[in-house]
Amino acid sequence: MRPNDRKYTKTHEWVKPSGDDVLVGITDFAVQELCSGNEGDLVYCDLPEPGRSLEAGETFGEIESVKAVADLNAPVAGTVSEINVNVEEHLEVLSRDPWNAGWLVKITPRSRSLDAPELMDAAAYEAFITASKH
Amino acid sequence: MGGREAWRLLVTWDGEPGWNMALDEALLERADPRPTLRFYTWRPAALSLGYFQRFAELERAAGAAPVVVRRSSGGGAIHHDEGELTFSLAAPASHPLFRGEVRRSYERVHGWLARAFAELGVVARLRGDDAVGSDRAGTGMCFHHSTALDLVWDGAKGVGSAQRRSGGRVLHHGSIKLDPGALEPGVARLRAHAPRLAPAELAALLARHAEHEWGCALARAEPAPEELAHAALRAAHFRSAEFLRRR
Repeated sequence: MRPNDRKYTKTHEWVKPSGDDVLVGITDFAVQELCSGNEGDLVYCDLPEPGRSLEAGETFGEIESVKAVADLNAPVAGTVSEINVNVEEHLEVLSRDPWNAGWLVKITPRSRSLDAPELMDAAAYEAFITASKH
Repeated sequence: MGGREAWRLLVTWDGEPGWNMALDEALLERADPRPTLRFYTWRPAALSLGYFQRFAELERAAGAAPVVVRRSSGGGAIHHDEGELTFSLAAPASHPLFRGEVRRSYERVHGWLARAFAELGVVARLRGDDAVGSDRAGTGMCFHHSTALDLVWDGAKGVGSAQRRSGGRVLHHGSIKLDPGALEPGVARLRAHAPRLAPAELAALLARHAEHEWGCALARAEPAPEELAHAALRAAHFRSAEFLRRR
């Protein structure tokens, strides 16, 4: 079961409270879809500059596996306060620990609520993934 | 029982390089409900760089090509001249063509190509763990760097494929070598088996096989007015100095 301390998007990002901010990353499902368990297949990642303002659903960066470039999308509106430089340099972290060390950006959200209907809890995300396989 | 799924077939010959990339972007972003298969060629010849590729890797090659653009998909540089046909496929990520791991979608697309190429006497397969003679370090060219999912024949890579995934949709485009030019020595070529093969003939073969492979009915169409407007607006972006030198 995926962590229940955060919400999930249909584009496979997660968002979790972190003090006054939120942390954003991508799920193990997204990583698996991109690289099929080959952590060396994740080759590049572009993250935004701190200070950038984002709308919910807006693309804030991209990640490349050896065969696909995929968008990274903001789960909530707000301002980027910090990026995980370590992940940009060591993308294998996303395979090994997408939930903690693999956070991508920290956002100061416009609203602290994560109750938007587009955001799923862990159980709903599990069901969403299961449905997508059929 | 249900009928065949309706797909759209677009064919655009001798497209300006930036326009070619912009029309592919339109197919990804503008969400025609039907999956779209497109075939196209380039005029003038151009070098396309991968989205994350460093421009400095290719400055020498870029000087040898009339036009340089950057793709929205990844991977290495490709030389698009009269010896190649480019294809693109656009559909939702949930479509059976693209559903699941990226690896699986490549197996489907490259399987389609391999079975079509077999009619030309070409025995193409996924590279897997095999070494290929087309690999060479330091050129920055897509066809000189193979991966397990690449389609190879005659001991060399012959299709350069890449995907861009955005907004729940997938664009998969690829360059098929009929006869590679001077920037891509040593790669596989279809004309080694079908010497007079023309891009139009190859496109027709691939379209027929797509219908068989995926049980679809291809309807030849022109790009929609909004797609043409998008392409006209965005063509300059793909050849702009700002985008070319983003890395």
